[in-house]
Formats: sequence, C-alpha cells, structure tokens
Amino acid sequence: MTDSRLNEKQQQSDGSHEPKTRAYGSVANVKRIIQNIKRMSRSKKIDISGKILLFLPTVMSISIIVLIFTFLWIEAFPIFVAPEGGIGIITNPIWNPNDGQYGILVFIAGSFLCTILAISIAVPLGVGGAVFLSEYCPNSLRRPIRMIVEMMAAIPSIVYGLWAYLVLVPTIETIFNVQNGLSVLAGGLILAIMLLPTVVAVSDDALQSVPRTYREASLALGATKTETAIRVVLSAAIPGIGAAIILSLGRAVGETMAVLMVTGNTLQIPYTLFDPTYVMTSIITNQLGYAFIYPLWRSALFAVALVLLLMSIMFTSIAKILIKWGIKSRGLA
Amino acid sequence: MNNNSGNPTPRATRGKKASKFKSANKLRKFKDLLTKILLIAAIIIVILPFFMIVFQIGIMGLQIFLSSGHGNGLEFIFTTPGGDLTGGILNAIVGTLLLILIAGAVGIPLSIFGAVYITEYSRPGLMRSAIEFASDVLAGIPSIVFGAFGFVFLVVYLRIGLGMVAGGLTLAFMMIPSTLRTTQEALKQVPRELREASLALGATKWSTTWNITIRAAFPGIITGILLSLGRIMGETAPLIFTTGNNLGLPTDLMGPGSWVASMPYTIWAYISDPRSYLQVKSQGTALTLLIMVLMIDATAQIVSRKVTRRVV
Repeated sequence: MTDSRLNEKQQQSDGSHEPKTRAYGSVANVKRIIQNIKRMSRSKKIDISGKILLFLPTVMSISIIVLIFTFLWIEAFPIFVAPEGGIGIITNPIWNPNDGQYGILVFIAGSFLCTILAISIAVPLGVGGAVFLSEYCPNSLRRPIRMIVEMMAAIPSIVYGLWAYLVLVPTIETIFNVQNGLSVLAGGLILAIMLLPTVVAVSDDALQSVPRTYREASLALGATKTETAIRVVLSAAIPGIGAAIILSLGRAVGETMAVLMVTGNTLQIPYTLFDPTYVMTSIITNQLGYAFIYPLWRSALFAVALVLLLMSIMFTSIAKILIKWGIKSRGLA
Repeated sequence: MNNNSGNPTPRATRGKKASKFKSANKLRKFKDLLTKILLIAAIIIVILPFFMIVFQIGIMGLQIFLSSGHGNGLEFIFTTPGGDLTGGILNAIVGTLLLILIAGAVGIPLSIFGAVYITEYSRPGLMRSAIEFASDVLAGIPSIVFGAFGFVFLVVYLRIGLGMVAGGLTLAFMMIPSTLRTTQEALKQVPRELREASLALGATKWSTTWNITIRAAFPGIITGILLSLGRIMGETAPLIFTTGNNLGLPTDLMGPGSWVASMPYTIWAYISDPRSYLQVKSQGTALTLLIMVLMIDATAQIVSRKVTRRVV
C-alpha cells in the first residue's frame, strides 16, 4: 500500500521533471486528464474521442489473426494429445479416420509436389515476363499488358478451376494419352497459371524500383541491353523478386478450389506426374462437413488447417525479411 | 593499348584482336537478340491463358444465354432454380450481392479506420510494424482456413448459425487486410504540405484527417475497396461451411431463412452434379461471375489510372 503510494508520488514528481515519461495510470493523473478534457473546446473533444474511436477498429482488425490462431489451436489440440494422433500424424502416410489412422503426410506431400511443379513453371516464365515488361517493353504496350496481368489476378479461383476441369484435363488426356487427366500435372499447371500474375506484378514492381541511373551507367560502359537487364537490373532487384517467389509459394500452398477440382483427390502419394493426389486444402473442403460430429476426425482436419496457417505465416515472414534485406543492402523499397 | 607496345608483331596481334572483338561483339549482339526473343515468348505465354480462359469460358457460357426455353436466355439471370434446378441463378446472384453488402458494411469501415489510425495517428515503431505484419499475414492465409475459422468461430462458438451473416463476416475478415493496406498506400501518397497547411490554419487533427487527407486519398481508397470486393466476390472456400445453400431468396437475417446461395458455390455444386444440363448452367454461372468480376476490376483500374494522371 505505502509502496504503491510512494511509487505514485515518485512518478508524479518524475512527471513534473519530464512530462514525456508521465505515468498515466495513477489516479491523480486520470483526474487531471478528465479535468483537462472538461476544459477543452468542442472540436478538441471530437479530436480526442476520434482518436480513441479509430484505435478500436485497428485493434479489432488485428485481433482477427489472434482469434484465428487461437481457435485453430483449440480445435486441433485433441488430436495432438490423443493416443491415435500425437505429433506423429505429420509423418504418418495413412489417412483412414474410420480406422483411427489420422496421418496427414499424404496431403502434405501432395501439396508440396503440386507447389514445386507450379513454382518451377511460373517463376522462370513470370520473372522473364516481368523483365520484358520492365526493360524492353514499349510504353504503349506496357500499360495494356499490365492491365491484363492485373485482371488475371482478379479471375476467381473457381473459374480457373472450371476452365482447368473442362479444358486442361481433357487436353492432358489427349496429348499424353492417359486415362485419367485428373493429376498432379493438371494441378501444377493450373496453379502455375494462377501464380503468374502475382510473380509478374511483384517482380515488375521490384525491377521498376531500381534507379534509372544504374541502367544508364551500365549502358554507358558499353553493355548491351540484355547484359544491363540481367547483370545489373535483375541482380539489384533480387530481394524483391525473392519476395515475389515466396509470396506466390504461399498462395500456391493455400489455393483451394482450382486444385480441388483437378487433382483427382485420391489418397496416395503420387510417383509420376500423371498420378492423382490429394492436397491439404482439398481434404478440409471435402471432409469438414461430415467429419464435424467425430471429435478426433474434426480435430485432425483442423490440424491440417493449423499446418497451413503456420506455413503461410512462415512464407509471409520470409518475404518481409527479403524485402527488408533489399532495403538494407540496396536501398530499394 | 600500352600493354601491346612490347609485342614483337603488334599489327598482326591487333588485327587478330580486332577480329576477335568483332566476333565477340557479334556473339553479344546475338545473345541480346536471343534473350529478347525468349522474353517476348515468356510474356506471350504469361498472358495467353487470360485470353484462353475468357474465350473458352465465354463460348461455353454463352450456350445457355443463346438457347431458349425455361431457365435459358435472359431467364437464366432473372429466375430462381425451382424444382429439378431447371430455372436460372437469380438466387446465386442476389446471394452474392447480399454477402458482398454485409462484408463491405463490416469490412470497409474497419479497414479504413484502421488504416487512418496507423498512418495518421500512430508513430512509426513497434506498434505500427506489428499491425502491418499482422495484416500481411492475414492477407496470406489460405481461404479455406478462413472458412474453417468462420465455421468454428462464427457458426459454432458465437452461435450465429449458418447463413448470410456468418458468410458475410467471414468475407469481411478476408477483405480487411487488402483494403487496409491499399488505403494505407493511398494515404501515404497525400503530400505532407496539405496536412501541414490545414493544421497551420488551426484545424484539429481530426478535421484535417477527414476533410483534407481522406478527400485527397479518396480515389485511391475507392480503387482498393473495389479490388478487394471483386476478389471476395469469387471466393468459394470460405462460404462452403458458413452460408448453407438456398434455392430461393433469403427471407430472414438469422436462422434457416438466412441461408443464401452464391455464384461461386453454385458453380461448384452444379459442376459436381452428374446431370448434364447442370454442367451447362455451371458454365453460364461462371461466365456471369467472370464478367461481373472483370467489370469491377476494370472500373477500379480506370479510377486509379485517372488518379495517377491527375497527380503526375
């Protein structure tokens, strides 16, 4: 009691010396603040209350991420402590909830393969396209191409999925002469198409932020346009392009509807490009509806969602670190 | 050149070197051309799928608009499915609009107030970077995770139940990060002098923010809102577990009367159905959705282009 009073006095006396470090928590200060507010004019009152009003939505919109994490954790927790589950479900390849087998390795492997395939197609094409757009493209052509790229990003994933299901899958069947076109290949191809706009737009922004003077210096030394574009501009923009790749990785892992429609959804680890597979997002979409009444089954599905969430947090963090590295090492935003 | 002076046969070497240079130059020029051709091929491959998708979805989707009979032609847009799902998709169109309305009513104010607070009121530091990081993480979360979260949190835990409120709120969560970031960018581009002039005239921070800064950033903010509305319009995964489905129009804000259909969900439900006439309807729905989304996106781009033209 006395201690706290002493503290209060100390804080007050401190406050009189250094107004910046004044402790707002103590009673006397609160009283003073209220008096101050009473003395204020109307517009000033609006100003103060506005600041508080704005603060609440900010906290609310940010607390969503905490809520998501909390609820996924609460829902996924039972499977991690259950005897059938435990942390080992991540390395168990057998998913058979009716038999008490909750291994999610199949889905992780499926997602991983589709993503790798998509990235290895989308990155070379997308970065190449961005280099053309930023370094070679005449201005009159640049604007419409950029607009098309932005529109590609706006096409809903269900429309991509429908197109892949009706056009891409039959095409794969006829070209490669396979029975079932619903495969890793179809999933990877449609994912690659969906990632291209992200890769192109973010890489193009990164290339554009390289100062003109770099290019002019390189050209003045007698380098050709290609040498300038690749050895100077591209290498200066590497952090931004890295961020683009990581961001699209995150998007590829989390993509739901299009992949669900074309990968065939079969519980096996694929060995060739033409094998069907099952990805993490698909298993949640397909089974959450009727698994909801079985506590462990549901919990295992939420464990998959938790893995997805952790992966996307990781990708976002890596992309942020890359961008920071770019600012630090090259002074580019 | 000076290095060559000690050479016994300077002329011959120089000639050789020159020819070497020439061929090296030719090689470099050739490489330059080759790279250029490769990059042009890359950009063509990048934008080709856009035309293929628009063209092929267009051809497949037009089938239903060009044929006549119950539920075809313009009736496809203006009737509800009815028995056997032979009618149109009015329920899905109205449902999507209702969901966007709810998502916008919740998401737009939250994200704009948040962005104003971060850019205008908070100082750069831990708080600001924490908020920015949180909204970037939120933007990267897979849509099905939002769906599962919406189901557990809104439908089960808060007991809102399936329906348009739960679906709309889930979509609102999804639109907050992107709207917040674009609004923030728009606010950052307002010149400092405008704010300082207003403050120097004796205006409070509050009135400066709402009368000067927001007004100057308005077109940018509208662009951001349109882009994220267009994006959530096509989201399927968050709606599967939160909205239910409805063959008619919703009659209630809560309870079973509030279940709604949506266009993305309808596309998915119809294409998974073995009946062949539903596949055609699914393609027609996809074309309708595609046109609506692209129109919103084009509007957003035109608005933002006008702005950049005015500022620069």
